[in-house]
Amino acid sequence: MAQNARSHKASKVVERMGKKLNRQMVGSLVGCVHCGMCAESCHYVLANPDDPTYAPAYKADQIRKIFKRNFDWTGKIFPWWVHAQDVRTDEDLEKLKDIVFGKCTNCRRCSLNCPMGVDFATINRMARGLLVSVGVMPEGVAVVSKDQWEVGNQMGVLPQDYLETIEWLSDELENEFKDTAARIPIDKMDADVVYAINPREVKYDPRTISDAARIFYLAGENWTMPSEGWDMTNFGLFSGDDELGGAVVQRVYEKVIELRGKRLVLSECGHGYRSTRCEGPNWSGTGVPPFVIESSVLTMLRYIKEGRIRVDKEKNRAAVTFHDSCNNARSCGFYEEPRELLNLLVTDFREMYPNRAENFCCTGGGGAMSMSEYTPQRLKSAIIKADQLKATGVKVVVTSCHNCVDGLTDVIRHYKLGMKVTQLVNLTANALVIPEKVVVPVEALISVVTLPLQGFKILVVDDEPDILTFLAAVLEDQGATVIQAADGEQALALTIQEKPDLVTLDLSMPGKNGGYVFEEIRNNPEIASTKVCIITGKPELRRLIYERPVAPPEGYLDKPVNEETLLTNIRMILELKRPHGHA
Amino acid sequence: MSETLRFVSGDLQLMALSFMAIVYIFRIRWLLRFKASGERQAPSGGMGTSSFKGIVYSWANIAMPWSMESTRHMSFFYLQFVVFHLAVAANIGMSFVIPYAPGLMKPMIVVRLLQILFAAACAIGCYRMYRRLSNPAIRLISTPDDFFSLALLTVWSFASIFAAPNRPDLGEGPLMVYFIMTAFFLVYVPFSKISHYLYYPFTRFYFGRTMGHRGVYPVKRVTQPKPTNI
Repeated sequence: MAQNARSHKASKVVERMGKKLNRQMVGSLVGCVHCGMCAESCHYVLANPDDPTYAPAYKADQIRKIFKRNFDWTGKIFPWWVHAQDVRTDEDLEKLKDIVFGKCTNCRRCSLNCPMGVDFATINRMARGLLVSVGVMPEGVAVVSKDQWEVGNQMGVLPQDYLETIEWLSDELENEFKDTAARIPIDKMDADVVYAINPREVKYDPRTISDAARIFYLAGENWTMPSEGWDMTNFGLFSGDDELGGAVVQRVYEKVIELRGKRLVLSECGHGYRSTRCEGPNWSGTGVPPFVIESSVLTMLRYIKEGRIRVDKEKNRAAVTFHDSCNNARSCGFYEEPRELLNLLVTDFREMYPNRAENFCCTGGGGAMSMSEYTPQRLKSAIIKADQLKATGVKVVVTSCHNCVDGLTDVIRHYKLGMKVTQLVNLTANALVIPEKVVVPVEALISVVTLPLQGFKILVVDDEPDILTFLAAVLEDQGATVIQAADGEQALALTIQEKPDLVTLDLSMPGKNGGYVFEEIRNNPEIASTKVCIITGKPELRRLIYERPVAPPEGYLDKPVNEETLLTNIRMILELKRPHGHA
Repeated sequence: MSETLRFVSGDLQLMALSFMAIVYIFRIRWLLRFKASGERQAPSGGMGTSSFKGIVYSWANIAMPWSMESTRHMSFFYLQFVVFHLAVAANIGMSFVIPYAPGLMKPMIVVRLLQILFAAACAIGCYRMYRRLSNPAIRLISTPDDFFSLALLTVWSFASIFAAPNRPDLGEGPLMVYFIMTAFFLVYVPFSKISHYLYYPFTRFYFGRTMGHRGVYPVKRVTQPKPTNI
């Protein structure tokens, strides 16, 4: 009877819940005594003291009541007595979605502080998975999951773009060291190290790849990057979709096995490390893979200890603090090695409090950065992180996680903290002592990096004056001739009239939106070949672009975009293989 | 001692206890029906961590208030927890001692200590009830079972204060109330949140095993140095 009253999706959720429950989850679902001690450990609660719906126990109860009503006989017989309640309609599922995706980053801080050992983060992840299985999820989660399923990486980087970026970085590396061996090998068999990365590095932060490449080169490592299965991140962790989690991790494992790699080294990414190193064998069901999996932090530390690379900490004299990624510290116990490395790299390291497994989330975890509909509440709750960062008194935050880089950058910008975020790979590369035989001709480089966008005409389109000013200033500083348009009509007219080399295009604008403008550009033979870089604050709108029956844009950036990311991508789009002049 | 009191303190208790045990057996069987997932990956974390250490640490967590930020920051709340749970344990123990080993409660010091403990538990129960009603976050998550369980334990502690002297010769009322309440408590427990202690070993075992395997447990904590400029 009760089953008939449910919507189809609600029925599927309950049915699937029965299959997903394991002993650990059931223990956590029945073990809560509603003592409320979890509340003080959650940054959402601390930042919203007047809103009791942020309390982890309350959020868990929204899942628990469904469990009790359907699987626990106390809830079946006396539902009102234990607040058991069924899920009936699609609206109920939508409400649950806003809680499990919008009010929790799955950071696991409450789990660690529960006297009963209730692992709320695991229950929450299960609930996310149940909702995803019936298609109830934030748009951003759907887009990213789709990319990871279909394209093979969570940012939809096409194989050609990935390989071209590696090629471009290889050229830079070779040029830097004046050594034809200084290249990034792709699909090299029997390598000692197979290096897997976060697609964010290809798209927004290729400097981390080149920094890692410099380190591998100087260490004399027999290494390679795979042409496929290179994305070690895993949106399955965030979406709760174990099938996606297993498929992604299997893709990475299989490639390492195919290449007969001895060690899989993961670039600095908290959720990637957790997914590939810790959860992967659980999701894929394969057990421990036949090769070592380690974080690049450990690899770099080993190189220094073994004398394979030399570093000079005097090169990193700024005072720094370290932010522990939740996934690294609270779910994988990975917190001492980064500190050990950091102490070898910088002259002034100051701890942040609390730290290690007790650190607060960057507030961008659990896939929160891809769910723009929850951004206001995310940033409001970030006051806790902002205060924690401010208290350190430093201007540089080091973290070992790409997601945290984005999350912290957002927090720093929102609360105007004037800090910079960097990673250990960047600090290591900066501190490298380059042996005589590969000394870089610094003067030659300096002379060629001046005004790299000289001679290019770029049209920047955005309805927000601040962003227009920012984009124009950055590009003009690099020598570009910049034209500005504040809406779609003006953008189209200027594209036809000025024939720019590149258009940076916002999507959400009054009047003709960016998607329309983009299609018009592509459909007009006169300007169809104009390079376009989408810059949007709404990643869920990506499908508006990629599903159009025209050639895709040359670049795609999510806001907020910083100067370095913008320039790196603009240079890539304009095919400036070296940072000077036309290709 | 009247036959009624003899029955209430003896047979009734055994019946209630047997009922509780049977329901608990069903409850544990139900829990064990769900498959326990394991950790397939190689252990991670530092040298001082392991699944075994994680389990032990997890089980002992509640006795180490410094180990969790929540208990560190809410030390008064933790103290209440300790006193309240000690009182409940003593209360259950007393229900066995009075009928089977009354000599243990002969010394007045024992009686007085128990009475102080029960009175403290009663006061804590009242305070917890106030907290549950006045704190919006706690009120929101509280179920009728939460309120009833707390009220039951508070009233039971109150009744125990008068039963502790074990003087049926001065009137059987207090002992009668105490034993009837104890029997009711035993029957009600398996259906209520009070049975959390049944799940505690399980939740803590699995959480500790996972966290130990992954090198998170035992938690390493670095305390913040006091500012030197003040």
